[in-house]
Amino acid sequence: MTTLLSLQAVTGGYGDANILHAVSMTVSDREIVVIVGPNGAGKSTAMKAVFGLLNVRGGSIRFDGDDITGWVPNKIVQRGICYVPQVDNIFREMTIHENLEMGAFLRKGDLSAAFDRVYTLFPDLKERRKTPAGSLSGGQRQMVAMGRALMLDPKLLLLDEPTAGLSPKYMEQIFQICRDVRGTGVAILLVEQHAKQALEFADRGYVLAAGQNRHEGTGANLLADREVAEMFLGG
Amino acid sequence: MDFLELVNFYIIPGLVIGSIYALGAVGITLVFAILRYAHLAHGDLATLGAFLALAVVTGFGISPLAALPIAILGTAAVAVGIDKVFYEHLRERPKIVTVMASLGIALMVRAVVQVIWGVDSESYVKGIVRPDVYFGLRIRDREIYTVIAMIALVGVLQVFLTQSKWGKAMRAMSDNPNLALLSGIDNKKVVMLTWIIAGGLCAAAGVFLGINTELKSMMGWNMLLPMFAAAILGGVGRVEGAVLGGLIVGVAEELSVLVLPSEYKAATAFAILLFMLLVRPTGLLRGKVL
Repeated sequence: MTTLLSLQAVTGGYGDANILHAVSMTVSDREIVVIVGPNGAGKSTAMKAVFGLLNVRGGSIRFDGDDITGWVPNKIVQRGICYVPQVDNIFREMTIHENLEMGAFLRKGDLSAAFDRVYTLFPDLKERRKTPAGSLSGGQRQMVAMGRALMLDPKLLLLDEPTAGLSPKYMEQIFQICRDVRGTGVAILLVEQHAKQALEFADRGYVLAAGQNRHEGTGANLLADREVAEMFLGG
Repeated sequence: MDFLELVNFYIIPGLVIGSIYALGAVGITLVFAILRYAHLAHGDLATLGAFLALAVVTGFGISPLAALPIAILGTAAVAVGIDKVFYEHLRERPKIVTVMASLGIALMVRAVVQVIWGVDSESYVKGIVRPDVYFGLRIRDREIYTVIAMIALVGVLQVFLTQSKWGKAMRAMSDNPNLALLSGIDNKKVVMLTWIIAGGLCAAAGVFLGINTELKSMMGWNMLLPMFAAAILGGVGRVEGAVLGGLIVGVAEELSVLVLPSEYKAATAFAILLFMLLVRPTGLLRGKVL
């Protein structure tokens, strides 16, 4: 498998203070990679670094052959990475269909193939496409948010805690959708609070703590690691 | 006082002035929703639009309605220019800085109007227009034009906002600015479009105020408060709310004359504004809370 995204010793933060200290990770083609770790470990921050939302002061970020360190989000979107924030990730007053349309804003020409692709992944949304997104349940909103990000046909999807606040039933559904999305040729990097379930479902995982790499490996290996289990998974 | 008298002397003039407020309030509500500040130069831009139309009316001898498109284009261009020269540089600063700057712009625009056209009252056409009577209702042609033009302009705007790509981009920017930027929507174009629309509607408000009353350099400033009351009454960011708010404020102002001396008309708008902010800050149609 070829490496799609690689962070090499990335150091940076929002203001002057550094939150990430020499964090490295890779995501390969069609791979699902999860970042777990305790609160304040810099999980979401690592993801935002990829999307150009952070002051990166050391290290580099490469994507699909380009050095994208320091690029603005707009350019990164066009290069093939889409990002779903944890909160405020939909246009509440716009319909589901309009949300998806805004996701494809940078795309010229006929959008029907992109709509078909997203509606095939999320049949529930197709039925309710004229409904304002703000009136949906939490799980359905997450689907709209993911659908919006998929409209540009990205190579890599970044998901910041997609299951936060969702019931176990919806969490399983979101994970299943992630597998379906990967099936269409998209790699996924996601941040998760539900470390155990996420590691069970992902191909590989990174455990961050205090802004540094702590452990990495396949989901099964990390789950079997005593130290990981004690530190982050509640024994 | 019988019912017809109430309609003829209070409701009809209220709806006409309310339609004029609505045109201004729609622009205020769009600027509020997309740029997130109160634009205090809105009234004086309306004055500018009214006088631009006067220049066309006297220069080419055409009717004020025929001059309206030119006034709309001219004022829209001025609004975009003001944004580029002044407001754009304040975008990253606290919003109150831009609010105060817009007060300065208001004074500047008014000063320009006064230098070019003077401070005396002007009118598009001389003479008195008698109202026609339809089933006992006394209505002047210009009053019909005003209401129809307001409905037509706002209708076209609504179609633009709900059907076109850039109209939807404006709604997206109003709804969730961060996500709009993450989706690659060009913020600068959306801001420019907002000023074109707000400036154009301002001019229409000014021209119709001029058609129905007279042109004075303070005409726009004097309707700033009712226009803001209308925008907040309807719900910030709600175009249809601004129209509803405008009509309600217009009619309420006219009806207030029944119980208050007419000098206190403006206080009615202020009372509505205060009441809404205290009781229901989201407005009638659930707008944003600022």
